[in-house]
Amino acid sequence: MTRVTLRNLRKSYGDTVALDGLSLDVPHRSFVVLLGPTGAGKTTTLKCIAGLIQPDEGDILFDGVRVNEVPPWERDVAMFFQTYALYPHMSVYDNIAYPLRERKLSMAEIERTVKEVARLLRIERLLDRKDPTTLSGGEMQRVALARTLVRRPKVFLLDEPITNLDAKLREEMRIEFKRLHKELNQTLIYTTPDFLEALSIGEKIAIVKDGKVIQYDTPENVFRHPVNKYVAMFVGNPTINLIEGELKRFDKELQFFGKGIRLNITELAGEWLNRLRGDEVILGIRPQDIRITLEKEPDAIPAKVIVAEPVGYETVVTTSAGEIEIKVLTKGFINLKSGQQIWLKFDKQRIHVIDPKTEEVLL
Amino acid sequence: MRRRNRRSSPIKRALLYIAVIIICMVYVFPVYWMITTSLKTRAQAFSFPPLWIWEPTLRNFLDIFMKRQTEIEALTGWELELATGAEQFFYNSFIVTLGSIALAIVIGTLAAYSFSRYRPKGTDTLMFFILSTRMLPAIVVAIPIFFFYRKLGLYNTHIGLILLYTMFNLPFAIWMMKSFFDEIHPDVEQAAMVDGSKPFRIFYKVALPQVYVGLAAALGFLIINVWNEFLFALLLTERATRTVPVAIASTRGEVGINWGLIAAIETLYIIPAMVLIFLLQKYLLRGMTFGTVRGV
Repeated sequence: MTRVTLRNLRKSYGDTVALDGLSLDVPHRSFVVLLGPTGAGKTTTLKCIAGLIQPDEGDILFDGVRVNEVPPWERDVAMFFQTYALYPHMSVYDNIAYPLRERKLSMAEIERTVKEVARLLRIERLLDRKDPTTLSGGEMQRVALARTLVRRPKVFLLDEPITNLDAKLREEMRIEFKRLHKELNQTLIYTTPDFLEALSIGEKIAIVKDGKVIQYDTPENVFRHPVNKYVAMFVGNPTINLIEGELKRFDKELQFFGKGIRLNITELAGEWLNRLRGDEVILGIRPQDIRITLEKEPDAIPAKVIVAEPVGYETVVTTSAGEIEIKVLTKGFINLKSGQQIWLKFDKQRIHVIDPKTEEVLL
Repeated sequence: MRRRNRRSSPIKRALLYIAVIIICMVYVFPVYWMITTSLKTRAQAFSFPPLWIWEPTLRNFLDIFMKRQTEIEALTGWELELATGAEQFFYNSFIVTLGSIALAIVIGTLAAYSFSRYRPKGTDTLMFFILSTRMLPAIVVAIPIFFFYRKLGLYNTHIGLILLYTMFNLPFAIWMMKSFFDEIHPDVEQAAMVDGSKPFRIFYKVALPQVYVGLAAALGFLIINVWNEFLFALLLTERATRTVPVAIASTRGEVGINWGLIAAIETLYIIPAMVLIFLLQKYLLRGMTFGTVRGV
């Protein structure tokens, strides 16, 4: 039930900068995912919110009140650790009951709450286990999660809760987290290095890189309107196609030339042209925004098939167009032979233009 | 357990066992001799060739607890060094061992935890400094300590020996316990912090139980160290505070050395250490290998 605001957090360890002016505003009851590669500062951010790490600079506010000086045991947050951090000398039941015992709840109430959360996570049968270090990875994760969810704190912090699980369990847990958030109805901050996970569960995504939030937006906007080249490349699989080249103007026409590819983009001309210095640009197009045709069509780019890999209900086609490789993602199976001549039709509304100097996405 | 693919002929095996038995006998023989001597009368102990079969007597064990004035003492008024009334020496040894071990373990564990988790400024230097106090051979500091103790009134007191042994054992306790604390993942303690525990509670409810093995190992080593200490006990005690090792060394008989009496004290003296080693044997082994990998 808390709004968490981080203002300009900085933290360094010797020469290593962990947080470099990180700011984030997490509204009350929202589900925010911090997305970024390992070492981006996600865990440090969560530990700052929990009070386990003191930032060198910056403010941490809960509902507008600065809590930097409040020790972790009084901050009333619950955190799931990536390492699970189970108490190895306590039984599964005692692990889950620990946060309640520390708050001096009655025995009956503790038992009721522990059983309830165990039922929610389907680990009732594990409660009697004496040594949590003998559990499987998935079981440990659930026990650690149960310990996190057993209270109703101001904020839930979940540090890569499902990264270490196998693919199938991960998918199940993604759905479960969405359901959990609805049930808990509380502020929840979650980290992951996996963009698919982030897109599928977050209400809002904060992309963290080098200790900074570089984009904070809805999943759709992060995917459709990345702010810079890094976000465009980090989100999406296969990776966005990037074509270096330059813009040329003929009368009223706007043309793109680069790496042997020529494309008329007159219809995309707009205000962004004023922000571009010089003529050099990078054209970005996602593999799913390209259509393959077997016949020549106006404005289609000729290409040759290198390889077609069917992945379930989709096919990833790697083609060579001009001097570069372009990946295309198509629905269903299509039968293409290597070396086959095809044409690529770009969905022009989905084309991004990136300034190669600032790496900023202009369009 | 039998291993199929390791082919060893029965003869080879037999030779191996014989070798092991011989080595064991060489090591255990003095202990055997000590125990048997303690069960012999003076005449039996000195008989040559040695007696292999005799009627055992508990006379020596009774004698060491019986305090009596010898005829020579009565005549001359000199106090003879007799190992009689040995319960006093055992009491001294127990008090000194318990006191110094309790102090060294409590202080050492707390210090080790602080060094491991809070890393105060200059931790590495301090840790080296602590270790360096053990680099001087004990005999080098023996004389200054003797004079200090005389001046401070700690000479011939239990508390004096306890303080000294605590000081000698602290570096060992700190280094050993720190290595165990370093191995446990700090996330576990951080989880406890988030779950609402304050630092001291985390220390004894979460951190300490994870290093019980290390604690047992440290305890074992320290107890043996103190229980067997001889040099300073000899220098700093008189009859009232004398510990068992010193008492054994200074035992005389009325006429020559009474080996049966000495052997009886020795036999009683090694029992606590043997029991301890037996109870702690698996921890002592882990303590020696230090780098114990734990799954968290």
